[in-house]
Amino acid sequence: MAGAADTAPKRGRFAPYGLLSPGIIWLILFFLVPVAILLRASLSSQPERFVPDDLRFKWKWSNFSNALNRFGPQFQDAMRNALIAAVVVAVIIAAVVVLRRGLWHSTRARRLLIGALVAGFFGAYIITSTVDGWGDHFQRSFLYAGIATLLCIAIGYPLAYVIAFRGGAYKNLLLGLVVVPFFTTYLIRTIAWKTILFDNGPVVDILQSIGVLGDSGRLLATPGAVIGGLAYNFLPFMVLPIYVSLEKIDVNLVDAARDLYSSPARAFRKVVLPLSLPGIFAGTLLTFIPASGDFINAELLGSPTTSMIGNVVQNQFLVQLDYPTAAALSFVLMAIITIAVLIYAKALGTEDLTG
Amino acid sequence: MSNDRTPQPKSGLSRREFLTRGAAAAGGLAAAPYLLGGSPAWAAVDEGAKVGGKVDVLNWTFYIDKKSKKDFPKQTGIKLKYSETLDDNNTFFAKYQEQFANDDHIGFDIVTPTTWMAARLIELGYVQPMPFDLMENRGNLRAELENPAWDPTGEYTVPWQTGYTGIAYNIEATGREITSVEDLFDPKFEGRVGWLLEMRDSMTLALLSTGMTREEIAAGVTFNDAKPAFDRLEKAAQGGQIRRFTGNSYVSDLLSGDFALNVAWSGDVAQLTLEEPNLRFVVPDEGGHGFWADVMCMVSTSKRDKQVAAWLDYFYDPVNAARVAGYTSYISPVADIEDELAAIDPDAAENTILFPEQDVLDRLVQFPLLDPDDEERFDERYAEITGG
Amino acid sequence: MTTVERAVGGPAPVEVQRSFPPPWLRRGGSWLLNIYAVLGLVYLFIPIFVIVAFSFNAEETKFNFTWDGFTFDNWAHPFAEQGLVDAFVLSLEIAAIATAVAVVLGGLVALALTRYRFRGSALVNLFLVLPLTTPEIVLGASLASLFIAKTYPSPVPDSRGFLAILIAHVMFCVSFVALTVKARLRGFDWTLEDAAMDLGAGPVRTFTKVTLPLMLPGIMAAALLSFALSLDDFIITLFNSGDQTTFPIYIYGAAQRAIPPQIQVLSSMILIVSVGILATGTFVGRRRERAATS
Repeated sequence: MAGAADTAPKRGRFAPYGLLSPGIIWLILFFLVPVAILLRASLSSQPERFVPDDLRFKWKWSNFSNALNRFGPQFQDAMRNALIAAVVVAVIIAAVVVLRRGLWHSTRARRLLIGALVAGFFGAYIITSTVDGWGDHFQRSFLYAGIATLLCIAIGYPLAYVIAFRGGAYKNLLLGLVVVPFFTTYLIRTIAWKTILFDNGPVVDILQSIGVLGDSGRLLATPGAVIGGLAYNFLPFMVLPIYVSLEKIDVNLVDAARDLYSSPARAFRKVVLPLSLPGIFAGTLLTFIPASGDFINAELLGSPTTSMIGNVVQNQFLVQLDYPTAAALSFVLMAIITIAVLIYAKALGTEDLTG
Repeated sequence: MSNDRTPQPKSGLSRREFLTRGAAAAGGLAAAPYLLGGSPAWAAVDEGAKVGGKVDVLNWTFYIDKKSKKDFPKQTGIKLKYSETLDDNNTFFAKYQEQFANDDHIGFDIVTPTTWMAARLIELGYVQPMPFDLMENRGNLRAELENPAWDPTGEYTVPWQTGYTGIAYNIEATGREITSVEDLFDPKFEGRVGWLLEMRDSMTLALLSTGMTREEIAAGVTFNDAKPAFDRLEKAAQGGQIRRFTGNSYVSDLLSGDFALNVAWSGDVAQLTLEEPNLRFVVPDEGGHGFWADVMCMVSTSKRDKQVAAWLDYFYDPVNAARVAGYTSYISPVADIEDELAAIDPDAAENTILFPEQDVLDRLVQFPLLDPDDEERFDERYAEITGG
Repeated sequence: MTTVERAVGGPAPVEVQRSFPPPWLRRGGSWLLNIYAVLGLVYLFIPIFVIVAFSFNAEETKFNFTWDGFTFDNWAHPFAEQGLVDAFVLSLEIAAIATAVAVVLGGLVALALTRYRFRGSALVNLFLVLPLTTPEIVLGASLASLFIAKTYPSPVPDSRGFLAILIAHVMFCVSFVALTVKARLRGFDWTLEDAAMDLGAGPVRTFTKVTLPLMLPGIMAAALLSFALSLDDFIITLFNSGDQTTFPIYIYGAAQRAIPPQIQVLSSMILIVSVGILATGTFVGRRRERAATS
C-alpha cells in the first residue's frame, strides 16, 4: 500500500452525500421500511383468514407469545443452541486472545476480548436462566447452523490458505473454482446431494460395509444431512473472506515473525492465524446467519424432526397465509441475530465484517 | 362421533346423502361398461368452424398426455398455453390469492385445484360458472359426479381426473404385503414411511388408524374428533417413524428406496408399477381416501367462454378422455371409456388400480368438507406436525 | 500498469511465493495440506459431477432420479421444456437489470465511502452490512409485507411480481456491490485524479478517463457477483414472486414432482460458461502480467 498521506480520502461537504443517496435511499425504502412494516404486522391482527392484506394494527403482543408457544420447541432449541454456540465461540476467542496477549496487543485485541467476554457472559446468563432440561430434542436451527459454520471453517480455512499462499499464478483460477459450483442453482445442488446420499445408494452402502453406519443406518433425513447440506451450500462464504484476510497479510511481517520465532508453525499460530481472524469472523457471520434462516436443506434433506425455524416462517407466510405469526417469528429471529452481530461489530469494527 | 355437526351452508346435500352418492359413484365405476358408440359430439366440433383464440390452463404435473397438448390446438385452432406448475393446493392458493382478491387476471383461464380448494375458490367468488351453454359433451360426465358437495349447484366445476388414496409400498423393502394403516406405524419401518402433505389424504388414514369408522368420517369430522389422529401422527413424526411429508415427490423416494411404504395417490403408483414390479398399491383394510377429484374451474376474470367450452368438450370426448386416463392412470370423470381405453392401452384396462374391485371401492371414504373455523384449526395443527 | 493493479487490489506481487510458505511446509506437511485443500475443492464439485452426469441420463421413467443410461438427447433438446425456458429467461432478465441498477447505486456508495471522509460514514458502513447479516427469510417476509400492505400509500407496486422481485434483488445486490467495490478501492491513490485535473482534464473527463477505469476491475467483480446472486436467489424471490416463476422457483416446483433432465442441462451450461469466463480471465491476466514484466 502507498503512504497514507498520499491516498487520504478527501473531506467532502455535499458530494459524498450526493453519491450515497441513491443507494442508501434504496436500502432505506426496501430494507428498513419493510422491516418496520414487518414489525407492525407482527403486532397486528388478521380478521379474515384468507385476506392477509387487511391487517389491523393493535399492539397485539400476544402474537409473539402465541407464535413462540406454538412453535416453542423449535425456538427454544434454536435460542438455546444459539447461545451455546455463542458461548463456545466466545470462549475460543477469549482463549486465543488471552494466549496471544503478550505478543499481539492492539486495540483490536482488547475489543475482541471485551466482545467475547460480553458475549460469553450474556450467553451464559440466558442459558442458565431460561433453559430447562437439556437434550430432549438435541438439535435445531441454530445448532445446525453453528455446526455447519464450524465445518465450513475446518474445510474452508486450509483451502483459503493454500490458495492465498501457494496459488501462485493460479490464485484467481483456484478462487474461481471455489465459486464456480455456486453458479449452478442452490436448489439443484441440494437435490444432487439427495441423489448421492440415498438409502440404497453407493455412499450409504460403503459406509455400512465399513461399519460407520449401522445396517439400517442412513444419511438422508437425518440432522447430519441437513448440517452437511448447510455446510456445503455456504462454504464459499467462508472461504472468500478468509482468503481476503490472508491475502492482505504483509509478507514482511511474516518474514519478521520467522526471524523471531524458531518454528514456522509458531509463526503461523502467532502471526498468520490472528491476522486472519477477521476473515474467520466475517465468514462466520456470512455462513451462520443464512444457515440459521434456511429452510431448503431441512426440507429436502431432512425429516419432520429436523425442521428449522425457516420452515415454520415459510409455511406460516406462504402456505397458511398467517402473516402476524410469520412476522412475529421472523422478527424474533432477526432480533437474536442482530444482537449477535452488534456484539461482533463492537468487537471487530464494522470495517472487518465483510473483509 | 359427535352429534353436534356444524351445518354446511354451502352444501345443498347432507353428508349422509353425499355418502350415498359416493357409494353410488363407486358402484357406477365397477358396473359393466356400455358402449357410447363413437364420439358424435366431438366429431361435430371437429368438423365445424374452428374456434380460434387462446386458452391458458394451469394443471398438475404429468396430468396430460403429449398428444392432447398438440392435438387440441390442431383440432380447435385455439392456441394453448398449458402450465404444469400446480403442485400443491395451498401453495397455489397463496400464490394467486392477492391477484384473485384484487380482481387481477392470474394469467390462466382454467385452473385445476382439488375439490376442497375449489369449494374455497367458489365461496370467495374467485371463479365463475362454466359456459355450459356452449359445451356439448357435458352429458358424458359420470352421473355420480353431478352436483357434488364441493359445488352443490354443479355450475362451477368440471372434474379433470378423480382418484383415491391408499398405501404404496415396495415389497422388497417391506418384506411383506401391506394390508393395514397400522403398517404405517410399524416400528420395523422406522424412518422409511412417507405421508402426504395434502392434509385430507393423510388425515383420512390417520383417522381410520385411531378407530374412527368410514361412516363416522363421512358423516363429518370436528377438530375434537380428529385430536387423537393428530396426536398419533405427531408422535410418529417426532419419534422418527415418518421420514417426510411430501407432495408428488414421494415417487422418487419410493423409486430410490428411501420410502419403504407411504401414503400415495392411485394414479402415480399405477404408472410406477409398470416400471417397477416390486411396487404395490393397496387400500388398507380400514379404508382409504376417495374418490377425490381435481376439478377444472374458470377464473372469474376470464372472458374466453368459447375456448374454455372447447377445452372442456375436447376432454369430455370419450376417446380423448380415455387417452388422458391411460396416461395419468387416474380415473376419468367421463363415463364409459373402458372400451376406448382398452383400444389404446390393453394393459391399462386390465389394471386393478385403474379399475378397482368392488371390495376396494367399498373401503373408500371421502374426507368431508370442513367447517371454516375448524378448517383453520386443522390446517394449523397439521402444519405443526409436518414441520412447517 | 502493475502499480495500478496493486492499488486496486489485484494479485499480489510474485515475491510472496518465494518467502512464504515456510520451508517445513514445503516438505512433508506441505503435501498433506495441499491434498487436504484439493479434497476440499473436490467436495465442492461432488454434486456438480452428479448434475453434469444426470444431464446425460436417458431417463426411462419421467422421474429423472435413477441412472438409466447415457444419451445426448437432453443436450440436443435443451429447450424442450417450455416452462423451464421461460423461467430461465425471466431469471436472466432479472439478474441483468438488477445487476445494472445495483452496480450504479452500489458503485456510487463505494466511491463516496472511499474517496471522502464525512460524518456518518461509519453508520453507512454498518448500514450496508445489515442486509447481509439479516436472514434471507426475514428479508423476504418483510419485503412481501411491504408489497402487499394496502394501508400505506406507497411508491412501490402494491402486489408481488416482476417489479417486486427486481426491487428485492437490487436491494441485496447494492450491499454486495458497495462492499466489493469498496474493498477494491481501499488504499487507492486519489491524487491521480488531481494529476489529471492539473493536466487540464475536466471533472467528467477525469471521471471517465481516470476514476472509472481504476474502478473497473472492482465493478466487474461486483457485477459478476451480483449477477450470480440474483440468478441463484430463491428464498427472497419465493416470498415476492407472486405469479412469476424464476429459474430457482421452477426447480423448487419440479423438485416436488420430477426433475426434467433439461434442468441439469441448463445448469451444466451455466457451469461451462462460468468456467469459460474464469479460464479466459486467468489466461488474459497471465498474458498481461507477462507483458507487463517483460
